[in-house]
Amino acid sequence: MTEKKKYNLHSVTDRVHSGLSRRYRAEKCFRRFGVCAIGLSLFFLVILFADIMHKGLPAFLQTQIKLAVFFDPELLPLENLETADFNALLKSSCRALFPGVKGRRSKKSLYKLVSDGAAYELRKQVLRNHKLIGTTQDLWLIADDELDMLMKGNIARNPTGRFNQQQLYWIEKLEQDGRLRRRFNLTFFTSGDSRDPELSGILGALSGTVLTLLITLMFSFPIGIGAAIYLEEFLKKGRFSDFLEVNINNLAAVPSIIFGLLGLGIFINFFGLPRSAPLVGGLVLTLMTLPTIIISSRAAIKAVPPSIREAALGLGASPVQVVFHHVLPLALPGMLTGTIIGMARALGETAPLLMIGMVAFIVDIPKSFNSAATVLPVQIYLWADSPERAFTERTSAAIIVLLVFLVLMNASAVYLRRKFERRW
Amino acid sequence: MNMMLKKQFYENTATESKLPDADGIRQTVGEPFLENSRISCREIDVFYGQKAAINKVSLDIGSNEVIAMIGPSGCGKSTFLRCLNRMNDTIDSCRVTGSILLDGEDINRTDVDVVLLRARVGMVFQKPNPFPKSIWENVAYGPKIHGLAPKKNDLDEIVETSLRRAGLWDEVKDRLDELGIGLSGGQQQRLCIARTIAVSPEVILMDEPCSALDPIATAKIEDLISGLREKFTIIIVTHSMQQASRISQRTAYFHLGNLVEVSTTRQLFTNPRHQLTEDYITGRFG
Ligand SMILES: Nc1ncnc2c1ncn2[C@@H]1O[C@H](COP(=O)(O)OP(=O)(O)OP(=O)(O)O)[C@@H](O)[C@H]1O
Ligand SMILES: [Mg+2]
Repeated sequence: MTEKKKYNLHSVTDRVHSGLSRRYRAEKCFRRFGVCAIGLSLFFLVILFADIMHKGLPAFLQTQIKLAVFFDPELLPLENLETADFNALLKSSCRALFPGVKGRRSKKSLYKLVSDGAAYELRKQVLRNHKLIGTTQDLWLIADDELDMLMKGNIARNPTGRFNQQQLYWIEKLEQDGRLRRRFNLTFFTSGDSRDPELSGILGALSGTVLTLLITLMFSFPIGIGAAIYLEEFLKKGRFSDFLEVNINNLAAVPSIIFGLLGLGIFINFFGLPRSAPLVGGLVLTLMTLPTIIISSRAAIKAVPPSIREAALGLGASPVQVVFHHVLPLALPGMLTGTIIGMARALGETAPLLMIGMVAFIVDIPKSFNSAATVLPVQIYLWADSPERAFTERTSAAIIVLLVFLVLMNASAVYLRRKFERRW
Repeated sequence: MNMMLKKQFYENTATESKLPDADGIRQTVGEPFLENSRISCREIDVFYGQKAAINKVSLDIGSNEVIAMIGPSGCGKSTFLRCLNRMNDTIDSCRVTGSILLDGEDINRTDVDVVLLRARVGMVFQKPNPFPKSIWENVAYGPKIHGLAPKKNDLDEIVETSLRRAGLWDEVKDRLDELGIGLSGGQQQRLCIARTIAVSPEVILMDEPCSALDPIATAKIEDLISGLREKFTIIIVTHSMQQASRISQRTAYFHLGNLVEVSTTRQLFTNPRHQLTEDYITGRFG
């Protein structure tokens, strides 16, 4: 009897032992698999970032050209400065650079080196300071996008391309005289969209995005969490709740463009809200994010151990007190995660916004929830669609801005989550 | 009624064999009924879905008494306990029938205020379940929501006395801000007891409050229970028969959802009237 027992024990050890190496191997395999998976995704991420950075970073610099501007009192009559012909002023300054240039054609190709925006700049300066009139100033003015591209090496320096022999000669001359420089592209961060790439900026789309997401957050967070709490804590489980659950899960998978159509039908056609407005965009994105927030919030609520609820109920807390004192604080980090995932999706959403007219070409920076606006991804889409080489660069730059925005959003979410978690 | 049951009991025990007949365990032997009862339960059935967990349990519980519930695992002790403060309401599939009178009022009526009921009938759960909040907040939570202490000073006092009575004060007095779940299992158990008595309930339901405690802490809790008996009614589930005999005046033995026997503790442990009880207390059960 004891003999047999001993034998059995022995064989058990043996068996465990013989299986051990297999188990370790499986573990090693799994670890390697995990490392591979992470490595692969990191690899693609790095490639993506490198590509975008490579293409987009140059857009943060802009070529400027130094002109000696003579603020001609004849062109700038003090009584109606507002309507004075600053284009003429700019043109005369260009001609002053190369006095030998004759003929309409040649002059035109000379003017083409400077951006149209330079005339606005001159106007701004004069309006700010009337004393400039009658003096000659050396001013750094914004160069044309083609010149900018040439300077950045994106356009070949040969006469067969975009520039003719004459222009290339001028450019060389300007370089020799130190009249060309590259500076931080402030315009990109301070202006809205423009037909001229060198004058276009991201601020319009950025503020459109901020306004839209504010609306989305304002509506989807409280509604989503309220719905989740009601569904989890108060609604009796049964056929009706199952039906709701299925439908919410379905909604989460509905293509976003359908929400756009819905928004068009309800908010614009029925309620008569303005087209292209962040208010409508935010509402549409609210519809889209709600299922995500509800589902993740419900999961977060479900994860709160029932014993906590029992403890509170047993002490005589009312169901609402149980929810607000115990369940909600514990579920909040999870709810925030869900909200951020939903918001991040909303941030990158284009399709539904196309349906409600947020795809328009909008120069002005939106100031209110009602003004016409566009958002970052739509701006990216618009620029990516433009033929100019300089817009390609700006597309990548806009993607960088979008990514930075995303990182900031996620970081704030992580911060908030930490804060709420630390309260316990 | 009382007389009739007593008669039945004698009839049951008259046959010396003590063997339970088919319906033998359906009728409770002993003294389940009292003249002056605080709580009186009549024919309580509890179902989880289709499955019956408790069959026709009728039992009186007097004021100022400690009554112990014993019985094998899964026999429905916790389920019965949870009927008394309507905690079973929280389980969707659970259905309770029968009448439970607390001070003459049926607590199962729909118009009864459950919040008030649970403030009067406190409960210590089988598994320690402190809130993931600080120790202080754990104990202060009940008094706070019921508005028992208008000032923070009063709350501090309640917290201290409750923790002292639960025998936890000396261990935690320097770290009241720390998380309740950072305590050891036994400390958590005592914290839960402190949390319950902080509300000063009139009836306290204790579901194995000492299952995770060492003998010293157990002794403290038993002292506490004996002290509380002067004012309150205590119903305690325990797996320790020594504990039951130390602290309780009456003991109820449950078996497979039936209340088999209720007797004075001394009688039940020394001279059980039912075969099943005897098997259980002598360890022959199973
Ligand atoms: N929430 C529930 N849902 C379904 N069945 C349950 C539930 N809770 C308890 N039961 C069943 O009811 C019966 C009684 O359970 P109960 O918890 O009352 O036993 P107990 O006497 O407290 O046991 P223990 O001594 O192990 O705590 C068991 O058969 C159990 O399976
Ligand atoms: Mg139990």
